[in-house]
Amino acid sequence: MKKITNRAVSVLLIAALVIVGVLAYVVRYVDEGEDWALYFSRLNTDATGQVVDRNGVVLAAFSPTENRFAEDRATRVANYHVTGDYWGRSGTGVLSAFWYNMRSFNHIYGTTRSSTGTLQLSIDARLNNAAYNNLIGQKGAILICNYKTGEMLCMVSAPSVDPADAETEPEDGAFINRGLSSTFVPGSIFKLIIAAAAIENIDGISHRTFYCEGVTDFAGVEVTCPFEHYSQTFEQALANSCNVAFSRMAVQMGQDTMVKYVRDFGFLDGHELNGIKTAAGSYPTEFVGDPELGWSGIGQSTDLICPFSMLRYVSAIANGGVLVEPTLLLNDPDVKSVRLMQASTAETLAQMMSFNVAYSYGGSESFPGLALCAKTGTAEIGDGTSHAWFTGFLNDEAHPYAFVFLVERGGGGLTVAGRIAYTVLHSAVRS
Amino acid sequence: MLTTSKFMLILLSIIIMVRCVRSMLREHYEPETWAYIRSGRETLPVYHWENIIGSARSADLVVDKPGVRRVHAVLTRSDAGQWRVFDVFGRGGVWVNSVKVGPKGEQIFSGDVINLVGNTVRFQDIPQEKRVKLEASRATAGKRFSPALTLLELTLFQLFLLLQHALFADEAHLPAIALGFLSLIMLQWSCYNAMRIMGRSGFEVETLAFYLTTLGMSVAATSTPDDMFKQILLTIAAVALFLLNGWWLRSLKRTAAMRFPIAAAALLLLAVNVVASDAVLGARNWLELGGFSFQPSELVKVAYVYVGASTLEKLFRRRNLFGFIAFSAICVVALALIGDFGTALVFFISFLVISYMRSGSIATVFLAVSGAGLAGFLAVSARPYIAQRFASWGHVWEDVYDAGYQQTRAMSAAAAGGLFGKGAGSGWLKDIFAANTDMVFAVICEELGLIIGLCAILAMLTLAFFAVRSARNGRSSYYAIAACSAMSMLLTQLALNVFGSMDILPFTGVTFPFVSRGGTSLLSCWMLMAFIKGADTRRDASFAVRPGERLFSVGEQPEKAKGGKGKA
Repeated sequence: MKKITNRAVSVLLIAALVIVGVLAYVVRYVDEGEDWALYFSRLNTDATGQVVDRNGVVLAAFSPTENRFAEDRATRVANYHVTGDYWGRSGTGVLSAFWYNMRSFNHIYGTTRSSTGTLQLSIDARLNNAAYNNLIGQKGAILICNYKTGEMLCMVSAPSVDPADAETEPEDGAFINRGLSSTFVPGSIFKLIIAAAAIENIDGISHRTFYCEGVTDFAGVEVTCPFEHYSQTFEQALANSCNVAFSRMAVQMGQDTMVKYVRDFGFLDGHELNGIKTAAGSYPTEFVGDPELGWSGIGQSTDLICPFSMLRYVSAIANGGVLVEPTLLLNDPDVKSVRLMQASTAETLAQMMSFNVAYSYGGSESFPGLALCAKTGTAEIGDGTSHAWFTGFLNDEAHPYAFVFLVERGGGGLTVAGRIAYTVLHSAVRS
Repeated sequence: MLTTSKFMLILLSIIIMVRCVRSMLREHYEPETWAYIRSGRETLPVYHWENIIGSARSADLVVDKPGVRRVHAVLTRSDAGQWRVFDVFGRGGVWVNSVKVGPKGEQIFSGDVINLVGNTVRFQDIPQEKRVKLEASRATAGKRFSPALTLLELTLFQLFLLLQHALFADEAHLPAIALGFLSLIMLQWSCYNAMRIMGRSGFEVETLAFYLTTLGMSVAATSTPDDMFKQILLTIAAVALFLLNGWWLRSLKRTAAMRFPIAAAALLLLAVNVVASDAVLGARNWLELGGFSFQPSELVKVAYVYVGASTLEKLFRRRNLFGFIAFSAICVVALALIGDFGTALVFFISFLVISYMRSGSIATVFLAVSGAGLAGFLAVSARPYIAQRFASWGHVWEDVYDAGYQQTRAMSAAAAGGLFGKGAGSGWLKDIFAANTDMVFAVICEELGLIIGLCAILAMLTLAFFAVRSARNGRSSYYAIAACSAMSMLLTQLALNVFGSMDILPFTGVTFPFVSRGGTSLLSCWMLMAFIKGADTRRDASFAVRPGERLFSVGEQPEKAKGGKGKA
């Protein structure tokens, strides 16, 4: 008998394996339980809720058994990058970002039930529709926010997706929000950054004149302008978008100063829009020689900028140097403010951007009814095409909007992005 | 109210577990003494009905004298109290009163001399009066941890569980659910009272089985409330079969005699199942019979334990082992043909345990494992849907809507329950296909919380440890092997069920013993519990074991008188 029963330990071997398995499960539960539980969180919490725009237009509504979006296709498509979807395909929409507010998990109590909630966004869905339509099938991004409150009014990225349409195969890159998740060659809009640095670092800059013969030379490498600007003030140099003047300023201030300003203004970091991570830009931070530094000063070289970072920057300029961090929520109580530059710098830049419009962009003839301060950019990307940029703000107490318009490979900044900006900003002001 | 009941459920679960564990694993467990062997001045007590006499340290009666082989002879006792000596290998060297003993054995009586190649030992039975005294000195089960109190705690547990269901269930289903829990309570107290009347005090195995059955009742109430009446009837039938099987096991003779008829019946059942199954995708392991569907493989599990166990003197016969191996192979192949690979694996693991216990040969086990590995490889290459299950193993989150559909939902719901659960009847996982069978652990974790899920596992582990502990003091190797093989089946099933649904093992779709929905499965689990009871020889503990002192009144004195010649 003893001989037989001694071998009963083989049963204990199975028992030991069961214990090991249980321990493995408990460890995984502690480690990954939250991810597991929240993956089907609406099932787990019985959450119901809806996402509406600032005017109460329903953009998404859900219950444990149902996933809905806006009624009409145009609204769904134009607002897709705001809402995202229930399946986390875009990852940057509010359905993904705010999920964490609608659900919670801890290892003791598991998922906790959340009450029915309505999330009201600061986004204007109709404005988004108008913005998306104005891109007329071109790739690009449009961001508009209120620089006094930080509220985002418009956030559009094209191409987009109809989340209710499971049949059609979306275009390549349609799930990416170009405004938040991508970086682009900035071209001349980068001169706004150099200008800020120059105001604070080059003595008497506003009294200096800059002479442009159409070309300048750094150690045998040329930087050119499309034509000679001859003698010009600092203000005129920005309005002319003079490459010669701005590349010389960059070289004069040196790389360390340039990097400091690019970094301080937040262009090298990723940011968060209500927890949605945005892309970090790039600028030559490792040592480069003068030719490269000159090119970097006019938004070429290895410069890359996320449109959202540009929106923060122009918002700060518009708001006297203080950035009210953008938010997607209407009446967001948690909005933060941070000073990005000196008030005097912001004021000077604002005046210069206003001068740009009057001096170079056709003033109120081209942009009637808008107190526009702006800068264009036509960023060559090396294959013969250019990104069209138009960024700035409305100097208008009633409509304090900062904006970034980008048309990927769209061509001229003023002619392409500027035209779209005019129409969309008019819609924004009207509504 | 919900929060209070959640805490009470967990508190009661833990108390029940602690009491059962301590009672089953910590209480004194004195062996029964059946006779003595006197070797020179030494007196060796005979603790079992089947004993190896030899020089090996693992022998039950160690006679370490020159010429005595490691396993020299086997001394057995029958139900009726007759003792026999066997020369199990037929190598000679065993005499009783100068008569040579062969493999078929010789009966011996108190006072007889057994001669082991020149070394004599004297066999001495125990007189009835001394026997009664000896028995009285053994600790009675259930002295330190009153089984009635534990059962009362279980009853409270069931009432709180019913309360939670009342909070969430449809009004239309509530009467049936209430009836389910109340009849379970009545059933367990009837069972307990029956034991008391029989003078039995060991009720831990039943308590744990009832605890698990309660969880099963909760799963039935949440997932298939329309079938509550069926569940009630099945539970009553299961407990009845448990009692019947336990009663049958009381006699070793009739138990052992049933091996061949049971083996034949099992093979017939499987054959019918193979013919009836038209499996194309997945398993078709059930038969329809007069409106009831049942799973033959579940009943074959019980048969397998019956056939696999063996008494000691037969254990050493080659024919016996080969017969068992052939039977096992047929069972496993038949299950594979039906497509029920999970159950085939359960049988195979049990086969390993039984064959190791019988032969003690690791080599045999390795041979069997490699053979099975080859067969498994062939099966996987022949049936692509099995390969697919293996392919998604460990990657279920990569394919949430297809290959990982069930497991990911099970894991999510289980985690969502936290430690305390969402409340009985309030989960969503129950609506997913096979949630109440293959993913039942997750349903328990979701609704009742991880702690109760772990208690369910702990209950099974405790039964396993108890089976091993009891086996050491079992009367016959038949009971010891039967208890261990029954537990190895149940444990393997539990492991495949829990870890399969949680993506720690491939998802094979077997049931969690007692808890998963499935009538035949519940019947077989309760019947397997009878084998655990059959090995429990604590004093007056088990209804499946005849009390020690009473066994002596059966024809003991006349036989002793007849054996007067042994005095020479």
